[in-house]
Parts: sequence; structure tokens; C-alpha cells
Amino acid sequence: MKRPAICLFITVAIVGWAAIGHAKKGGGGKAADAGEAKPADDGAADTKASEPKADAAGSETGGEAVEPEPGKVEEEIGAEPKAQKATTTLTWKDIVVLPRKAFLKGNRLELAPFSGVTVNDNLIRHYVFGVDLNYFLTDALWVGVQGQYYVKQTLPEYQLLGLQYNRLSSANKYLYGGSLNFGYVPVYGKFAWINRRIVQWEIWASAGFGVTMTEVMARDPANDSKAFKNTALTPNVGIGSRFFLADWLTVNFALRDYIIPDKYEPNPNTYANADQAKANADSKLVNNLIFYVGVGIYFPMKFTYKTPG
Amino acid sequence: MTIQRSTKDMPMLTTTEHASRRTARRLSLLVALAVTALPLAAQAQRKSPLADAPAVRKRYELRQTRFELGVGGASTVNQDFYHTFFVGVKAGFHFTDWLSLSAFGDFAVANVSTGFQGSITDALGDNPPIDREPTPGEAKAGMQKITNILGAQLEFTPFTGKYSMFGKLFASYDFYGLLGAAMISVKPTDEALPDCGDAKNLSIFSCKVSGMKPGANVGLGFHSYFTNYLALNVEFRDVIAKLNPSGRDVDGVGGANNADLTWTHTLLVSANLQFFFPTVPGVSF
Repeated sequence: MKRPAICLFITVAIVGWAAIGHAKKGGGGKAADAGEAKPADDGAADTKASEPKADAAGSETGGEAVEPEPGKVEEEIGAEPKAQKATTTLTWKDIVVLPRKAFLKGNRLELAPFSGVTVNDNLIRHYVFGVDLNYFLTDALWVGVQGQYYVKQTLPEYQLLGLQYNRLSSANKYLYGGSLNFGYVPVYGKFAWINRRIVQWEIWASAGFGVTMTEVMARDPANDSKAFKNTALTPNVGIGSRFFLADWLTVNFALRDYIIPDKYEPNPNTYANADQAKANADSKLVNNLIFYVGVGIYFPMKFTYKTPG
Repeated sequence: MTIQRSTKDMPMLTTTEHASRRTARRLSLLVALAVTALPLAAQAQRKSPLADAPAVRKRYELRQTRFELGVGGASTVNQDFYHTFFVGVKAGFHFTDWLSLSAFGDFAVANVSTGFQGSITDALGDNPPIDREPTPGEAKAGMQKITNILGAQLEFTPFTGKYSMFGKLFASYDFYGLLGAAMISVKPTDEALPDCGDAKNLSIFSCKVSGMKPGANVGLGFHSYFTNYLALNVEFRDVIAKLNPSGRDVDGVGGANNADLTWTHTLLVSANLQFFFPTVPGVSF
């Protein structure tokens, strides 16, 4: 009887070992149950549902900014008065609703080249090439400088004016500009790409001021020598979005309105040279609306998370 | 001399007790082997259960096999002579989470003169020096107003997610591209103008461009869900149809006729409140 007993003991030991190992590997079984308790579509449910997934598939969701121990999380989510008496002072209100941010910007510098196009001028289209240099004071607030260089293209309507109405339009072309901008990030989100990959993004709002250099396009080519340049103070407001692709890389979209008090060519009979033309110029406030696309490269190129102690 | 062999060496001589012990030993070893080997084999074959899992599970299916119906408003963007404001309706059915078919109708309630129109009419005089140059009234007569836009579109929704505003307000959203057909109806400011014919008449500088013009409809849109059955739906679309916004000569031959209709982009922004049916969405696995 000794040998079967030994064999049985060994069998029980092996099975027990395998079972313990499997249990450790699976982990968080109860947390997973909590995740299944309610669909992941409102704030509280998202916490419950995404928490176990963050543990199991961290590469997809990135985990939590605040990561209490799983056992404690269960206690707090349980909302039982008994659980409130646990050793921690955390409550369910302390649990961040969104998964840990995939990207931190605080105290980092963004170098963001972009190219864009004007979208609200019926006569002349300007292509713009520029760069933003932004320093993030916090994750949501930044100050930056921007430079723009413009290339003009006249549209068919500009030519048709002469054909249809026997008139030539006053028009200016933009040369270059620069501005000091401030920005704030009020909206932060994530999306699933065909429910396969999670991408995080944000929407920002920005305002600033600067200057824009413009130049008159003489209606009569014979007056080209009298065309003058104008340096206009240019406030701007904008709204845009960043999509986080890597620890150091974003893809940016923006729509920015440059409000330019521009000066246009006056009646040709009122001036003899460029200075006189500028002195007699017609002034008009122009909204130069530009849509642009670019990338953001961040320095330093890596960041570290700070979790509460 | 007979040599007594060990009973171990003589299985044919073993007793019933010996046989049962041996069977028990073998059975124990077999069980031990099976119990040990099976989990190991299973573990070797097992891949992550999340390998093929969707990015989000247990989520509300806010689109799949649901109808949407709503009303709202729209406005043209960047028109030459008239900004048009519309009231609109939109209805659709989502075959899957990412594919839907919708139809919309936008009906003009106001046509507001643009600054560009004012610049032109202000620059014109009442006694033009040449026939081709119109008076302000003649210039305005041919300018085109939009009366309605009807269309149907397929919507592809690759992006779905949630966002937070100021870290307090949370909402689900989706973002889609749309492609379809549209009919844009237009009329001139002065409907007493002669119809645009196919023949070129050099003495007609402005003609009546009116009726439904078929075209393409492309754009982008998003839903932002207030609840599981109510969403804000914003769309930015380009209706591309053969139009002549000025109603005047475009090809430079002289005179205005149907040959002056050119492919024209009419940009619109619309915002609707959309109700989804059934009001209670399903939940994904």
C-alpha cells in the first residue's frame, strides 16, 4: 500500500502545483467578473470594464494613471460600508475614469512643422508652410511661437470677374507671418480603430497675436511698381487636434483664423508711387482661415509616469 | 537440482494479490503522467485569450442594426453670392457598426447676400460703358440661390470612441466618411430671366439657371451621443454638381447658356439631433 500512497501523494502535489500556477497566471479573475457586471459605456462602467482589460491587455489600453492594488479596487468598487473601513482612504471617486494617458506633454517642447491651405477666400488660395515651437507648462497648457510662409494661387473666380462684370478685384497676397500663441486642451479622448486598436487624441483651443506681411496685387500690371507691402498686427484664434502615435510623435490638425487689418490698393488716380498708395489705401479687416496638417515631435523624446506615492 | 526462482522472476506463479498491486501501481503512474502532461500540453498550445479580442468589450452597440432619424439645420460655406441657411431632416439605417445608408433633405429658409456680392454690385454703375458690363440689378439678377438639397449616402465609420471634456463630461462618439449622390435645386435671383438654352446667343449676358442638378456628395461627419438613443450629428459635405453661380458667361465665348455650367463645389455644414431606434442598444460580447 505504501507505493500507491506515494504515487497518489505525488499526483496530488503535481496537480496542486499546476493548479496554483494556473491560478497565478490567470490572475484578477474577480476583477474580470466586475468588468462583466455592466457594459463599458458610461463613466463608472468604463472604469470597471477597462480596469481588468488594462491588466490583461496593457498594450492596448495603457493601464491606469492611478493604479490601486486590485484587491483594494474591488473593495472600493464594492461600495459596501464594510469596504470603506479598509486600510486605504481611497474611494471609487478616486479612480480615474479614463485609462492612463498614452502621452504626457508637461515640461516638453513640441516642434511641429505643418502645411495648410486657406479655406475662405473665393479669389485667391494661399498655401502655407510653417512651424510651431510650443513649450508645455502642464499637460494641458502651452505657450508657443509660430512662423508661416505663404504661396499664392489665383482661383478661376478672380479671372471671371473681368469677363462677367468688367471689373478687377482688389486683392492682396500674403508673404509671411509670425505669432505668439497660447493653448489649452479641454477635450481628451480615445477611439477604437474598427474596434481593434485604441488611439488617444485631444482637442485644443488656442489664441495669440503676431504680424502678417501682405503685398498688394495691382489690378493693372502697369502699376506693379507701385504695389506696397503692409505689416499688419494679426490676432488669431484656432482649434485643433492631436493624435498620439508614439511617445514622441503626434499628428496634428488645426483650423486657425488670422484676423488681419489689411490695406488694399486705392483708386489708381489717387497715387503716383507706392508710399502715396499706402497712405491712401483702403483698410479692411480680413479673416484668413487656414486649415493645416502637421506632425509634432517632442523633446525630450521619452517621458515617465508619476504615480501617487 | 532445481533452482528456486524468485517469485518476481516468475509472473506465471504470482498470486491474485500481486496482480492487483501491480495494476494499482500502473494506474497510479498513468494518472500521474496524465495529470502532469495534460496541463503542460495545454499550456504549450494556449495563446493569450486576448490575442483576437476586440479592443473594447461589453460596450453598447450604438449603431449596429439601428435606425436613426432626426432634424436640424445647415448652412453653406464659402459661397460666392449667397449664404444659404437650411432646415433639414436625415434618416438612416446602420447595417453594421461601421456601415450605414442614410438619406437627407435640406430645405432653404434664407439666402443672405455675401460680402463678395456687395463688393461687386457696389463697384458697378447704372450706365455701363459696354454691353457686357451689367448694372447692379442685372448683375444680381443672374446670381444663383439654392432652394434645397436632397441626397443619399453610404457612411463608413472606422473610428468609434469616447471623449472627456474638462475631465468631467463624458460622451461616446463616432467619426465617419460619407459618399453618395445628391440633387441640388437652384433658381436665379430674378426668375424672369430667359432660360439658358444650348444655343449661344451673344446678346444674352445672363440666363436662368434653375431646377434640380444631379451631382456627387462626399464628406465627413460625427455623432456625439448624449444618451444611448440621442446624438448630435454634425456633417461637412461637398455637393459637386454642374452649376453657374453667377448666371453669366464662364467659357469666354460670349453670352450665357448651358455650356457655362461647370462642376461647382457647394460646401455645407449641418447639425442634426438624431434619435436612434430601438432606443435600448445591444451589448457586445
